[in-house]
Amino acid sequence: MKPYKLTVSHAPFWHDGDSLFKTNLNIMMAALPAVIFGLFQFRAPALGVLALSLSSAMAWELIVTLASGKKASIGDLDSAVIGLFLGMMLPATAPWWMVIIGTFLAVVLGKMIYGGIGANPFNPVLLGIAILTLSWATHLDFDAAYINYDFNFTALAPLAAVKAKGALAVSDLFSLNDLVMGKQVGAIGTTFGLGLIIGGVYLILRGFVRWEIPVSFIIGIIFTSLCFNLANPDKYAGPMIHLFSGYTLFGAFFLAPENSSSPVNKIPMLIFGFCAAGMIILMRNIGAYDDGTVLGILLLNVVNPLIDAIRPKALGKEVRNA
Amino acid sequence: MIKRPFFALTRPKLGYDIPEPDPKEPKLIPVPSNLILLLHDLIDSAGEPLIKTGDKVEKGEKLYLYKDSEEYTVSPVAGTIKVIDTYSDDFGNTSTYLVINTDPGLTAGTDALRYELKDTITSADEYLRTLPGAPPLKTLADPGMKINTIVITCGDTDLLSTTHQYIALRFMDEIKEGIQVLKRITPVSRFCITIPENLTIKADITTAEVFRTSTIYPSNLPQMILKDHLNIVLPAGKKPEDMGICFMTAEAVVSLARAYKTKTVCHEKVLTVIGKQGTPYRVTATIGTPLRRIFNAFSIQANEQDRIVIGGPMKGFATYTIHHPVQPDMDTVIVQDKTNIAELSGNPCVNCGKCIHVCPAQIPINILVRYLEAGLYEDAADRYDLLSCIECGLCAYVCTARIPIYQYIRLGKHELLKLRADA
Repeated sequence: MKPYKLTVSHAPFWHDGDSLFKTNLNIMMAALPAVIFGLFQFRAPALGVLALSLSSAMAWELIVTLASGKKASIGDLDSAVIGLFLGMMLPATAPWWMVIIGTFLAVVLGKMIYGGIGANPFNPVLLGIAILTLSWATHLDFDAAYINYDFNFTALAPLAAVKAKGALAVSDLFSLNDLVMGKQVGAIGTTFGLGLIIGGVYLILRGFVRWEIPVSFIIGIIFTSLCFNLANPDKYAGPMIHLFSGYTLFGAFFLAPENSSSPVNKIPMLIFGFCAAGMIILMRNIGAYDDGTVLGILLLNVVNPLIDAIRPKALGKEVRNA
Repeated sequence: MIKRPFFALTRPKLGYDIPEPDPKEPKLIPVPSNLILLLHDLIDSAGEPLIKTGDKVEKGEKLYLYKDSEEYTVSPVAGTIKVIDTYSDDFGNTSTYLVINTDPGLTAGTDALRYELKDTITSADEYLRTLPGAPPLKTLADPGMKINTIVITCGDTDLLSTTHQYIALRFMDEIKEGIQVLKRITPVSRFCITIPENLTIKADITTAEVFRTSTIYPSNLPQMILKDHLNIVLPAGKKPEDMGICFMTAEAVVSLARAYKTKTVCHEKVLTVIGKQGTPYRVTATIGTPLRRIFNAFSIQANEQDRIVIGGPMKGFATYTIHHPVQPDMDTVIVQDKTNIAELSGNPCVNCGKCIHVCPAQIPINILVRYLEAGLYEDAADRYDLLSCIECGLCAYVCTARIPIYQYIRLGKHELLKLRADA
């Protein structure tokens, strides 16, 4: 009999079948309702931005892995997710060079220089968008971006309008129904509230996103904005405007729960979501920017390791200082 | 292979298998012409050998390698020693294996004559260490251990296996006899018995405290039994024996009862064998039987790149040879087709938190694995609870990045012990 070799490896010999590819594919699928809506709303330019963003993000990762002599890792779709998200957060009229610079910042500066997937201290997408916002604020001004579009709804970015005129003055312009159904100007993939909620709930139910972060995030938005609103209803908008405009829902379900830059223990996750949301409302209401989602979550990314140190005592562990 | 359910909001629940309510007799594998025995002793050219190749052995004969050896094995058959060589396991730990060529004609008398089994634990340890189920007689006989509680486990520790549950279903009376024997030969006062809650045992058990264990993995692991039923949290890095508690499988108790009743040593081990399609078979095979014999009996083909797992899908080990012998503590053998082998990766941890969610010992695995990858074993133990791990394997089962976490942990513990021993 011809000798043959058996596979020898270590326990466990079962796996639940999950993989990075599957997880990222599901995340992209969950983003599809909002993306498709955005394509209908903002038409061909939006498709151009998304296509360029997704492909350039993957290209950047490939270039870095090739240059550094590492195994190509774009197959795990992580940079595809980064590219898709970055595209979703840009206006449909974003110039091509900005998209490419954005994906460079996100993928190379946000992820690859730290060692690739899992090693990034910040959410790469947010890092990219933050630098773009600081560098070319006019290209990310949603009111200016859609000047040549003809919409059948109020073509004003809700958060900018609230900031400029106060909540009372704009209260008739934005109905809750319009905001939920995406009848607002904004980034390509972040205006369709209902689609984002559907995608987010899908990810939570499938276990790809830890529910604690989105839930505490949304509670944080509602609580903080309600506090401001009750204090001065003329100036500060209510929770619903905050929840359904800007990057809020996208942040809650897709950005804040980014694995590498968010905590994994229960209490830290709740703190993380709540505080990130609190920071966002603070920035929106008393800060300089219209939408604080990007910087709010980035700020919590910084303190993430500190928060995540709150963890249960392991089984049988002796606590020496007790 | 149990795949991730479509909805996965809660932690995965892997249920233990249960035997059919009225189990059939296991299929008896005839004694093969060559038996392979493992002996936990090392070949040492300086030792004064007691056995050598070509020696004739009788059924039930105790075999020591050298004059001053402490470890022995018992030959289940009469025959001739053909090979004595070194065996190394998956961690590079070495022991010795003997190949015995069966020759029934050699048997002179009955093996019962060889034993002067007395009602003491030292006498039991002297003769019965290799009983099916591997009773921890060495631990019990060690005066330094101070064992005060014996926990008899009728539940199988790993998934897919139903060996001990089958024994509990069929031989509860003998388990009770075994408890009486243990009460007689050991000074232990407290006896507990764990029975899976979905296993229907008709007999009344009055001689031991009965714990009904959950059907969800890893509730049958010793650390979990201690925590759930004895309210003892095992300090990190300690063994149950250090707390005066000794775990013993149902099969070990039954073999002990039989040994004392018949004054002979039983060599037939009950095994659960899982074929490539997941079909379970139950067999009785003589200790030392090469696995190939068992596969042949059920027409299971182990081919190139397939995997043979001994001891269950979560905690077992893969063997490199189909000639691996049946061991006293071997409860399950699984043959996996190469197409069913999950791929592992060299990905780093992506911090998805699934392992944290599933870990029964609440270990920060996401950080721990980074330390282990970097080889910082002391830090891993001091700061990130390496020694609290109960080795259930669930973290690696759910790992999205497919990191061999459990292997990292075992390696970490192994290296840490070496580091501390050298220090």
